Amino acid sequence: MKKVLLTAAIASALSVSSYGFAEGPIDGTIYGKVNVSVVNQDTGSSDEWKLNSNASRLGVKGKTEIADGLYAVYKAEFEVCVDDGDCKGQTFTQRNIMGGIRGSFGTIWAGKHDTPTKLAQNKIDLFNDLEGDLKNTFEGENRVSNMVAYTSPEINGFAASVAIIPGEGADLDQDGIDDSGLADGMSYSISYTKDNLFVTVAGDQDVDNQDLMRVVAQYTMDDLQLGVMYQQNEDNLGTKDESGFFVSAAYTIDKTTLKAQYGSIEDDVDGDKENTLSLGADYKLAKGTKVYVFYTDNTDSAVGQADTDDSAFGVGMEHKF
Amino acid sequence: MNNAYLLALIIASGLLSANAFSNCEFDTDDADSPNFMDKIVDCEEQPAKISSKKKSSIAPATKLYGEGTVDPVSGIAERPVVAPGSMNHSPGKVFAARQPYSLRPNAKFEQSVTIAIQRLHVEMAHYCSKGWSIENQWTEPDAQAEGDFFLHFSFRCAG
Repeated sequence: MKKVLLTAAIASALSVSSYGFAEGPIDGTIYGKVNVSVVNQDTGSSDEWKLNSNASRLGVKGKTEIADGLYAVYKAEFEVCVDDGDCKGQTFTQRNIMGGIRGSFGTIWAGKHDTPTKLAQNKIDLFNDLEGDLKNTFEGENRVSNMVAYTSPEINGFAASVAIIPGEGADLDQDGIDDSGLADGMSYSISYTKDNLFVTVAGDQDVDNQDLMRVVAQYTMDDLQLGVMYQQNEDNLGTKDESGFFVSAAYTIDKTTLKAQYGSIEDDVDGDKENTLSLGADYKLAKGTKVYVFYTDNTDSAVGQADTDDSAFGVGMEHKF
Repeated sequence: MNNAYLLALIIASGLLSANAFSNCEFDTDDADSPNFMDKIVDCEEQPAKISSKKKSSIAPATKLYGEGTVDPVSGIAERPVVAPGSMNHSPGKVFAARQPYSLRPNAKFEQSVTIAIQRLHVEMAHYCSKGWSIENQWTEPDAQAEGDFFLHFSFRCAG
């Protein structure tokens, strides 16, 4: 049934321009990507090969001009699982889905979406959606439901986003009382972009049961791209108080991009530590199409216990459309 | 929740408001970027408004460019500029022409967008000697060299 509904939804979205419900021109684009990899994963206790679909997706995005300079904007993106067609028991799973109004004042939007904090890491995670993904080591990579947000336009390089999240009866701050307010959770980011430099400060409050702050910088020099992130986060129960850093570098030589990233985060409450190291290379076959190879080692060190070492080696391809 | 903190952020965000949306060339991963909204509004090509000119937007255009030869000045592969001389005119016929230009810091004057426009006008005069209307213009990057672009004119000879 859900497949039917989804098909109908996409068909409706694509046909809306033909019927012209709004006065202004309506625009929409289907986009997506297929990203698959063959990976050998060694967790210490198991060693297996597998085919992974790495956040392959299909999306529709567009705008409708509802008045001069005023737009309704939308984006609906779904994950498709190229490896076995099973996305958590579904054919499609929801990714970022939002609708909003955009004008010279900025954009007011709402939906289920990556928080401003997650968006703030921009593209410093060079192994995004793979085993070395930032989210496998660091908190704060959240896609939340019921988000209402405002994003400012960019002026003199500065831009900001603020999102509020109604609790809708959930106990977001874990104080034992269900939250039912308008802004029970909050996420924000303030960024500055100038030439090849991107800097942002972002944070969460009572999102995923945590408070979090991160600072991200990305700098591009010709063929070299550098990224760095510092983050602190703590949960509301006092059982976790982490701080850590993340660095990444990519260097492009003709059609090949060499990539490396390292991250480390330590919990001051129990002394546990997590590290992630990834090395890899992309080879660009065409605009939007690349093949890649990577190696990732994720280590989890818990005090009083043996380290858990999870390594992965893989080759894959990505095609964007 | 610290409401004062939230209010301060909203005010700060509001103070940043202005018409200064960014440039774009949409990449699938841009849908997950901080400025994804800019990419939706600024990068979607606005469809033509329905008008009497709709017919012209779907009329096939005769391309006046191809793989071509390498321009000795710019080094960009393209057909040579059409020299005025044997003028032609095909009433109502639509053509698409393009010329390379460069925005690289070390680009020569001959590679400037001014020269590209000049060359396009020479080309339009050659194919529509009795006049023309420019129906659309757009720019595409040259995939071979960052900073190099192609300026396209779609034009129709006067009827």
